[in-house]
Amino acid sequence: MTVPAPALFDWSGREVSIAQIDSELGRLRRDSAGEDGNPHQRTSVMTHVAWVPPEWLDAAERVLAGMAERHPSRTVILVPRPAEEGGIDAEISVRCFPIGESTVCGEVIELALRGNRALAPASIVLPLVISDLPVFLRWRGEPSFRESQWQQLVEVADRVIVDSSEWAAPRHAELVEVFDRTAVSDIAWARTDDWRIALAARWPAIAGQQIAIRGPRAEGSLLRGWLQSRLERTLPAVEPAGEVGVLLDGEEVAPPQDQPRSPSDLLSDELDHLGRDPVYEAAASAS
Amino acid sequence: MSSTTEQANPLAEGLPIRRRPEPCTLVIFGASGDLTERKLMPALYSLAFRRLLPDRFTIVGAARSEGSDDWFRQAMKEAVKRFARDEFRQEVWEPLEAGMRYVQLDAEDTGESLASRLERIDEERGSSGNRLYYFAVPPNAIGPLLEKVAEGRSDTGWNRLIIEKPFGHDLASAKDLNTLIGEHFSEREIFRIDHYLGKETVQNLLALRFANGIFEPIWNRQFIDHVQITVAESIGIEGRAGFYEQAGAIRDIFQNHLLQLLAITAMEPPSDFTADSVRNEKVKVLHSLHTPGPKSVVRGQYGRGFVEGVEVPGYREEEGVAPESTTETFVAAKLYVDNWRWADTPFYVRMGKRLARRETTIAIQFKRAPHPPFEETAVEGLRPNVLLIHVQPDEGLSLAIGAKVPGQGMSIRNVHMDFLYGSAFRHGLPEAYERLILDALLGDATLFTRSDEIEEQWAIVDAIIAAWQRDRIAFPNYPAGSWGPPSADELLARDGRSWGRH
Repeated sequence: MTVPAPALFDWSGREVSIAQIDSELGRLRRDSAGEDGNPHQRTSVMTHVAWVPPEWLDAAERVLAGMAERHPSRTVILVPRPAEEGGIDAEISVRCFPIGESTVCGEVIELALRGNRALAPASIVLPLVISDLPVFLRWRGEPSFRESQWQQLVEVADRVIVDSSEWAAPRHAELVEVFDRTAVSDIAWARTDDWRIALAARWPAIAGQQIAIRGPRAEGSLLRGWLQSRLERTLPAVEPAGEVGVLLDGEEVAPPQDQPRSPSDLLSDELDHLGRDPVYEAAASAS
Repeated sequence: MSSTTEQANPLAEGLPIRRRPEPCTLVIFGASGDLTERKLMPALYSLAFRRLLPDRFTIVGAARSEGSDDWFRQAMKEAVKRFARDEFRQEVWEPLEAGMRYVQLDAEDTGESLASRLERIDEERGSSGNRLYYFAVPPNAIGPLLEKVAEGRSDTGWNRLIIEKPFGHDLASAKDLNTLIGEHFSEREIFRIDHYLGKETVQNLLALRFANGIFEPIWNRQFIDHVQITVAESIGIEGRAGFYEQAGAIRDIFQNHLLQLLAITAMEPPSDFTADSVRNEKVKVLHSLHTPGPKSVVRGQYGRGFVEGVEVPGYREEEGVAPESTTETFVAAKLYVDNWRWADTPFYVRMGKRLARRETTIAIQFKRAPHPPFEETAVEGLRPNVLLIHVQPDEGLSLAIGAKVPGQGMSIRNVHMDFLYGSAFRHGLPEAYERLILDALLGDATLFTRSDEIEEQWAIVDAIIAAWQRDRIAFPNYPAGSWGPPSADELLARDGRSWGRH
């Protein structure tokens, strides 16, 4: 399916207020009106908040390109720049996509939070959240679990999405602490889907077999945690490797043949889930 | 103590594999037909594209036409490239193609029988004797094929049949067909398909009604004035005169799609979403349908006219149609569901070919506000609230409400709050056949029609047609490109109502 290019209406400003952002969004929506003068339908199924430290900005923008079309939403990208002088800079766009004879629009609000404005992100996000719709928080990079920004945004979110393969060290033990406060997705966990399907097909033989896992730290440890929690036994530590591999009684399991999903596909899939994932939570706890 | 083998697989919990069926063989009777090319094969490709088909999945095309495995694969590849909603990817196609075989039905007597070919395929492909037979053939071809299928019934795996509509021609023939199938297969092995039930928007109607607390309390005679269901096509009979002359609008659309839409609109909440719970509730509605008297049913046939600016021939001028044909191409009716929820609430239904536009909608018209405290001029032209469900095209919902016109004074106009399905969920709506084939592979019959539903539907149709035998109508009585004969408007006008213009 060819995705038509969106019509883009944008605005940017330095030292902006939330009221100004609201007002400019309204203006952009009016500017995007069709030939009949009526604004296009704003369709949202969520507010998508992304916490994106500057070193992750390029990667995040690549993944987010096209997401508005797949998940009509208001996307709020927060770029913390604590070392700079205090203030908020905004780049706002309304992106409209033709759907049949209609056009629907989504909104992207990218905010650079300079200086001490990066300290209280929830107070900036809350006025921008669309009421009564779920809030997804994608936290790019390694969260500072003890810091206030993480704690604040977790409180705002109905679901937090991390990718533990972006972390320098395994920190699932700290992530586990928010499981009772919000639902959590881990893109590294989603990358193990095909392996888990392949290993589940080995039941019941796998229950009595010796299992050895190698692989990247995040995926490997989640796979090990999953098997430990499901089979209720302890497995040997994961051997570091570039790709996931599993030995059952010393024999190599054929890797799944399915094409790996793109980063956009992985995030897109996570945005479809709202509830808690008890299997993931158990795997992360046991990893 | 239970053994490990008997325990549920703890590794399967939470995995996206619940809807992946067991290895099996799908046998398509009518493999060289239009339905296979346009709908079934593209649907199978889309399922493969999303990795929803089982491992070791085999497709056996069976038809009278001469052909080979390679010919069948090539023809299906062309069909996928032409009609599938997903882009063609060689890596998706190759594993699907590897499992494709062709059987020429008439050549069996001189060669290998279908049964032994299927056994051989089971051995080659390890499909454990699981078989799904898709009867994409006219009703009169089902009987002989059933004998072949029963003869080669697999004892090692499951056997399931998908039967395309029309299921019979009247109540007697539907009962005969049910009996014939029942001699060899149990009800849980039979999947009578009505592709409307596979449409996302039809299923969304169930979600709308039973997942939203605001609608169910007002979904009854106390708050709803009446319901209108429209199944309109702008196309003609598209070269299907042989079928249509025998069927007409009442058998083509009313007996199946329309009565299913009505049943889903009117049914009570099922206790759960299992096949029998849902179908039990639908049957109760069909059973409660009051047989409409002759004055409550209108039929029509299109004459020459214009559709989208193009002059089109009348029905009697279509190739293969008798010049004096009395086949109806339009039916409208006022129906009543005789139960506590719907007593005295009319369901106006209409369906037909060569109407003004293609549209399937369910309009729930609510009663007017009892006493609007405004001057008469303020609410002039204000229509009652209507919840409009667009089944196709532009799938979605629209709620018409009264709103104040900005400015001095009080003037109230109708405005629409729209929910466009495709704009909120941008996954691309699956084709109905994808959902239904997958459900049949999984053995889930919720969206298929049960024998008693079919028989209730035909009983209503037979009663309506019986009344038609007694009087003849001067056809054609509506021009192509219109909304049907004037008598369809009169049907509502008599009750002080009119058809919605959506």
